[in-house]
Amino acid sequence: MQFYISILTFTLISVIAVTGIYVLTGLTGMFSLGQAAFMAIGAYVSGFLVVKAGVPFVLAAIIAVVISVIVGYIVGLPTVRLRRDYISLVTLGFGEAITALLNQTQSITGGALGFSGIPKITTLPLALISAIVCIVLVSYLKNSKYGRQCIAARSDELAAKAMGINVPRIKMTAFLIAVAVTSYAGVLYAFFTTYVDPGIFGWKKSAEWVIMVFFGGVNSLTGSIFGTIILTALPEVLRFAADYRTVFYAVLVLLIINFKPTGLFGEYELSVGNLLRRLSGKKEERSNA
Amino acid sequence: MSIQIIINGLAVGSVYALIATGFSLIFNILKFSNFSHGALMTLSAFIGYFFAVKTGSSLIPVIIVSMLAGGLVAYIGEFVAFRKITLRSTSPVYYFVSSITLGTLYEGIVTIWVGPNFYNYPRFFQSMVVNIGGFVISKPDLIMFISSCLALALLVIFIQKTRLGRALRSVSFDRDTAGLMGINVFGIIQLAFFISGALAGLSGVFLGINYTLYPQLGNLVVKGFIASVIGGLGSIFGAVVGAILLGLTETLLINFVGSGYAPVFSFLIMLAFLLIRPQGIAGSNVQEKA
Repeated sequence: MQFYISILTFTLISVIAVTGIYVLTGLTGMFSLGQAAFMAIGAYVSGFLVVKAGVPFVLAAIIAVVISVIVGYIVGLPTVRLRRDYISLVTLGFGEAITALLNQTQSITGGALGFSGIPKITTLPLALISAIVCIVLVSYLKNSKYGRQCIAARSDELAAKAMGINVPRIKMTAFLIAVAVTSYAGVLYAFFTTYVDPGIFGWKKSAEWVIMVFFGGVNSLTGSIFGTIILTALPEVLRFAADYRTVFYAVLVLLIINFKPTGLFGEYELSVGNLLRRLSGKKEERSNA
Repeated sequence: MSIQIIINGLAVGSVYALIATGFSLIFNILKFSNFSHGALMTLSAFIGYFFAVKTGSSLIPVIIVSMLAGGLVAYIGEFVAFRKITLRSTSPVYYFVSSITLGTLYEGIVTIWVGPNFYNYPRFFQSMVVNIGGFVISKPDLIMFISSCLALALLVIFIQKTRLGRALRSVSFDRDTAGLMGINVFGIIQLAFFISGALAGLSGVFLGINYTLYPQLGNLVVKGFIASVIGGLGSIFGAVVGAILLGLTETLLINFVGSGYAPVFSFLIMLAFLLIRPQGIAGSNVQEKA
């Protein structure tokens, strides 16, 4: 039972991180390959504050998220005005830099051995509530004016600019939302495993999240979450094929991109009164194409 | 002492230049960042390693085998992961995901194949240093530098002076028009992937000799990416200059504070460059087409 609860909690933490990625990649069309580094910042800063400085958990979590957002702002500043390739390359470099920094500052972070002794505060209900709150907020965001601006900027940056949308600001906001959500996922992660080490926050992790979003459907929040649940939980349950997991992943995603590029769910969103929404959803699809 | 550092920096920089050039070639022709490049380096370096161990051959055949292997894998990779996207000419975001996934696939294959262990290339030279004009220079560094320069020079001659090179440039410039002019567009794209893969193989072997060989060796590709950002995305000349610059700065800085911080420095150098001169050294800032 404990095993399944732990898988469920991990899956929910991934879902939280992926809702952030969805805002960044799904809505705004940017790819961050250093997102896991922001998770690391969230995990390490909150862990450090609670263990070494005795700050209460909630305050530590808030401080960790704020620090991540500030760092994210510095990273995003030179890139949001440029071609989208830059944000992937810059965040990739950033992720490597953070990993190196965590490995080097042994006296503070424990280096490659990891940072341990974090109290176990994250429980299944906390993760569940956080995930639900994130999902609700992001789905609200998608249907808001801001979300539509994001989609416009993703579909055609030049046209969006011509319509008077401040594209660099939209991109920056999306990036910072993603950073905040991911670092919060990092906080939950640290206080669930009670131990963090730099190895798990490499760019492979960030790439995995992007893959999850695309697996479920890059235009659909429901699809992204569904993709995350499948791709996180399934390999955990099927432990026997651990080595082949990444190869299996990769082949699956290549097949999906080649044969159903909109992902499993396409544009479909699961919600009340879905039939009505599907009509407007169809319209949205046409304007995206 | 300082000459030693400069030569070391040049050698490291020239390998970064190989990575950055292979990356830029694909960026030029299909306008996306090929994130599978790093894993391809690892894969072909391992193929070269096992060839070296099985046959006990010297360095040159190992390099040739690695380059051929890298080229072939990239050729197949283009067919598997990118062909359909190019044909459909949908959003370029799919290239991103496809290349990341392809990289994950390569790395997964390498991990299954060799396990998470570290490997060392056999020693190709009797003496590790040569003595030129009173300066002691490490032999692998020298060979790395010379063969990288050779490879890059050949590539530039190929791109600038031959018919195929001209076709490559025209496809990079405008795929549809090039196709109308009777150029076999997909043949040229495959050629670009083959060359890029061969460069990945070459840089993979050198990285394997310089460091050790392990499944995550490909992460060093970040240096190549950073070099091409500094040089200006898509410009081969810029990539080479950026790579040499990065190699030199990094080696100098490492000498003062230790190698562990190298990724931090390369990141800061890149960030500073983007703030001051976002179009890169070469100044060819490829705009995203509307």
